[in-house]
Amino acid sequence: MNKAAITAVEYYLPHDVLRNEDIAKEHPEWSIEKISLKTGIQNRHIADKDEFASDMAIKAAEKLFSGYNIDKGSIDFVLLCTQSPDYFLPTTACIVQNRLGLSKRCGAFDFNLGCSGFVYGLGIAKGLIHTGQARNVLLLTTETYSKFIHPADKSNKTLFGDAAAATLVSSVLDSTLAGEILEFEYGTDGSGAEHLIVRNGGARSGFKKNRTDTTEVADDYLYMDGKAIFEFTAFAIPPLIDDTLKKHKLIVNDIDLFIFHQANEFMLNTVRKRCKISPEKFYIHLNDCGNTVSSTIPIAIKEALLEGKIKKGDKVLLAGFGVGLSMGATVLQF
Amino acid sequence: MNINDFIKELKDQFIDGDDISLEPQTNFRAIESWDSLTGMSVLVMIKDEYQVDMPVDVLKNSKTVQELYDFIVSNKK
Repeated sequence: MNKAAITAVEYYLPHDVLRNEDIAKEHPEWSIEKISLKTGIQNRHIADKDEFASDMAIKAAEKLFSGYNIDKGSIDFVLLCTQSPDYFLPTTACIVQNRLGLSKRCGAFDFNLGCSGFVYGLGIAKGLIHTGQARNVLLLTTETYSKFIHPADKSNKTLFGDAAAATLVSSVLDSTLAGEILEFEYGTDGSGAEHLIVRNGGARSGFKKNRTDTTEVADDYLYMDGKAIFEFTAFAIPPLIDDTLKKHKLIVNDIDLFIFHQANEFMLNTVRKRCKISPEKFYIHLNDCGNTVSSTIPIAIKEALLEGKIKKGDKVLLAGFGVGLSMGATVLQF
Repeated sequence: MNINDFIKELKDQFIDGDDISLEPQTNFRAIESWDSLTGMSVLVMIKDEYQVDMPVDVLKNSKTVQELYDFIVSNKK
């Protein structure tokens, strides 16, 4: 059976930065300093008004190709994770295939997930490689939540940032650092669907926003029930981690680094303590980019690699969780 | 269960838990470091340690540590 491994990771942050000082100016009554202490976020990058999911994904992919000297002709599958596609049809991944100049014999499709998206993407990529359907999968995560956060929504503005990441999942393991993708545990709880939602814009609103009948303006924008998401994370993630470790016949101490979806630092520390993970093994990176949804994990992996926090022989546990409600975890063996 | 154990658990949810003092009559929401994230953490702790689902409104309307504790005692199965 073909093994599948992450052999390259790169990411792109849009040019415009929304800093805590900017938020403080817009909302003087909002104690941003206090909040940044708890959320761990100083800056978020915001996509240009003419910059969309495909644009950011392409920039991340091009950075990946040049940074790792990858022959883009070798890509035979494109997976693109987004909840803000350029169009609801056609598939953004197809547009990206064309603009990147990838082979016309590539497979390509989008999948709609948020914070759990990267882990699911790894699962799909591993499946494609295992079954001989692909050898080099380009996994793209790209998100522009900023485009549906209401200008007056201080809390979501504070938390979310835009970004895209490009990851190569390959059956060819001769690169200098390859994180072999091991087993997966997934979870879904659709009863929590309304806890993180943009109500309008899809079929249920006639594909329209700015409706004048019964829906409120708020329905055009992102709504997040912070308490419900916090509870979901606090109660559902520790068992997910337990099950993931059991599946690999490992214990917490066998893992060298834990990289969770970077939602906000306070919540991450709460979950860390509940999972009984020591702070030195728990990676945090969101100070300069905030919660970039499906890109938080690949961005963190890239930064951890750059900081030398991941070495050959290390086991890294990834866990993504959030909108859906959806969650997934896996272990990488470097 | 006793209120001192509860106070210990409650202090743990504050980001500066080691530096603050909590008594039964303390208005916990007046503490400098209290905010909605601390509140969420407290609700999770109460569910975890005491298996009591405290609604956000009860937390918001409680003025002292004692009031929180009394709710837990009367709702514990």
